[in-house]
Amino acid sequence: MSNTFVDAFPKQARLIRQAFLTSFVALGVGALFGLIQALHRTDIFRPIESTTYYTVLTGHGVFLVISFTIFFLVGVYQWAVTESLEREPVDMRFTWGWYGLMVLGTLLAAFAILAGFTDAIDVSADVLFTFYAPLQGHPLFYIGLVVFVVGTWLAGADWFRTWWAWKGDNPGKRIPLPTFMVLTTMIMWYISSIGVAVAILAFILPWSIGLVESINPTLTRTLFWYFGHPVVYFWLLPAYLLWYILLPKLSGGRLFSDPLARVVFILFILLSTPVGIHHQYLDPGIAEGFKFIAMTNTMFLLLPSLLTAFTVVASMEHGARQRGGEGYFGWLKSLPWREPAFTGMALAGLVFAFGGFTGIVNAGMNINYLVHNSLWVPGHIHTQVGTAVALTFMAGSYWLVPQLTGNRLVGRSVALFQVLLWFVGIIFMTNSMYRGGLIGMPRRTAEPQYDGFDFEVAAGSVGELNAQLALGGVLLFLSTMLFLALMLLTLFNHDSEPIDERSIPRPLSGPEDSPPVLDNLKLWVAIAAVLVVLAYSIPLASIVSRGGLFGPDVSPFPVFIESIGDARFVLESILAGITR
Amino acid sequence: MKIHTYEKLWLVAAMVLIVGFIATITYGSVALGITMVGDQEDTIEPGELGEDERFDDPRVEQVGENEYEAYVIAQTFIFQPDPIEVPENSEVTFYVTARDVIHSFSVVGTNTNTMAIPGEISTMTVEFDEPDEYGIVCNEYCGSGHHNMEGELHVLPEDEFDLTELSVEADDEVALEDDDEVTLEIAVENGQLEDLETTIEAEIGDETVTEDVTVEGDSTYETTISVDAADLGEGDHDWSVTVDDYEESGTVTVVDQLEDETEDDGGDDDE
Repeated sequence: MSNTFVDAFPKQARLIRQAFLTSFVALGVGALFGLIQALHRTDIFRPIESTTYYTVLTGHGVFLVISFTIFFLVGVYQWAVTESLEREPVDMRFTWGWYGLMVLGTLLAAFAILAGFTDAIDVSADVLFTFYAPLQGHPLFYIGLVVFVVGTWLAGADWFRTWWAWKGDNPGKRIPLPTFMVLTTMIMWYISSIGVAVAILAFILPWSIGLVESINPTLTRTLFWYFGHPVVYFWLLPAYLLWYILLPKLSGGRLFSDPLARVVFILFILLSTPVGIHHQYLDPGIAEGFKFIAMTNTMFLLLPSLLTAFTVVASMEHGARQRGGEGYFGWLKSLPWREPAFTGMALAGLVFAFGGFTGIVNAGMNINYLVHNSLWVPGHIHTQVGTAVALTFMAGSYWLVPQLTGNRLVGRSVALFQVLLWFVGIIFMTNSMYRGGLIGMPRRTAEPQYDGFDFEVAAGSVGELNAQLALGGVLLFLSTMLFLALMLLTLFNHDSEPIDERSIPRPLSGPEDSPPVLDNLKLWVAIAAVLVVLAYSIPLASIVSRGGLFGPDVSPFPVFIESIGDARFVLESILAGITR
Repeated sequence: MKIHTYEKLWLVAAMVLIVGFIATITYGSVALGITMVGDQEDTIEPGELGEDERFDDPRVEQVGENEYEAYVIAQTFIFQPDPIEVPENSEVTFYVTARDVIHSFSVVGTNTNTMAIPGEISTMTVEFDEPDEYGIVCNEYCGSGHHNMEGELHVLPEDEFDLTELSVEADDEVALEDDDEVTLEIAVENGQLEDLETTIEAEIGDETVTEDVTVEGDSTYETTISVDAADLGEGDHDWSVTVDDYEESGTVTVVDQLEDETEDDGGDDDE
């Protein structure tokens, strides 16, 4: 008799499988686009025009950091809430409702982006993931993003509703840790995504459909980064949840400290948002003082990650010693390195630690000038989101998907090869990106080959850097395809049973060791709101007083073919987007 | 709250590390004077750069003994001026703005790097010690031609650097019957603060005229050189004016009689 998640909660398992499926489709498309970019910018293979590169790049960014990560997040969080509260949502129709909205939003944005490949449809949105105005995409792109974000807001509301129902039945009990992580993440998300919502609804969308004529580029950019840094924690925190909840179990032990895990997530509520200006160290129109404040806040944001490093490694050591490991470092040999879910997460954590230090370089405001918008930055992104998050998600899937399907993972040793392949691929690719960035190679460009000058490489050559980048990109693509194949095979691996069962062991130090004030979410929301107001009110007021709400007379710069303001056309495009 | 001893030690070490990072960055700003782009400059209408005396003619200007200012416009998909020329051992303040979308002005391999945002002006002061040549790239995606957006920054040896501008106005056609002269109106602009001692050498046909001049700092010297049309004779005559490394040249036609008076004034009548 098996004891898997799908046995206990079949309806939830179905929803989560659906969310993962959507996530993995986005991963596949995004990975293909990544491969095209790696070969194009290194001038190894250019099947597309360089102008089309930016359509591919927009898709790569949006599909991977919006669709892949966030659909996976809602899947993991639905699992975490259901599992830790032992409870289903109050109304399952509402749950399917937010999932449907997220899918609709993705399809609208995807249509606007992908239509850029053909001249037959007068729609495109080559504005990249950051959509800085006055670059202007088709209104459908922005509408899609808004619909998607509203879907995530409702998902959070759904989890809060489940928790309130649980609280009614369990008065005075501490919030179970996984649910605590879900709720705190969503609080952070509510606080931060307001920024992008205001940027789109108040300024960019009215401007893209022609209701207002001008825009203040610094204002919309600042609102974007108000959201743009916390969003990276939105990608990261589900990975943290898996490191705290699943990794100790996979290591053969238990979580070291529940209280510290709670402290870490609270720190993310407090500190993730008042730091966004660190993406704007080079922006004119923002005083140095505000940049300095963002810098100090950012440095303190290292604290939760350093605490996580301690707890995760301590939990792994505990697990290893339970398995008979001995010695100062000898216990490392006793970890279950043959288990792809474990090895993938452990390698992801290792890469994350390295990438964290490159992030400190970015955060160091005056050092940042050397690397800002250079290839160094995608190097950092690919070690963090592209590996700490993506590899953890893939490794986590090797444990979660059997739980969600009731099927045994197909090709366990292939899966181990897959996570190792990712690790090797990311080392090649990011090594090239970091080094290329240091010599001034720009990011986000189709052809970093210039007529007037050459890049001066201290050791090695541009050719060698290109070869590493392309090789890394190919390995990462192959690794992704292997992962997707294994997932597909596992989905159809009926008449089998998962090796593991669903239970999560209790932490060594449980919630009873922490003061109940940690669970006072209203208090943390209030403090976070004060910090946000302190960090942002004066800079935003200054930007508006300098450039005006709707800016100086800046003309739109459409990167789609024909400007349209016709509501009927918008409607038809939406319908086309749905049926696509 | 129960916290393990090792965990407490780790926490303290983490805080020390964080405070240490903040201290090094602060040291860089305060003690080493590595400043950042800020909000020192007023905003500017991106559609009216042509009416702004700094950006109507993007250029390098001398403002002190070794101090220069460079006014740069970034627009899809070029930088103006290009190349930017400055002398060695100089301190150059860049004023950078954008005409259309957000660009960047990034001197490759250096920390001279700023966003160029329409409506805002970035300023950066940079010291150049040695002669060198740098590439400039736009590293903020600005549209389908983004990868073609590049420029050059030349740091020249002092003896090769000047801010001299030579302009010459001359007639296209001169008639013999009016006893006309072929005149070259020459203007030599010296943008540097020091006096410029140089020689203007003008050639028209076989005639050569030279004039030693001193152009005072930050001013323009104007002179007119004339040659009787009769001395040149009917036909096309090449002319050239040379000042240091600068040369302007053209052709004047001496005719017997102007066919149509209205054509004499060139295109001005069309307006």
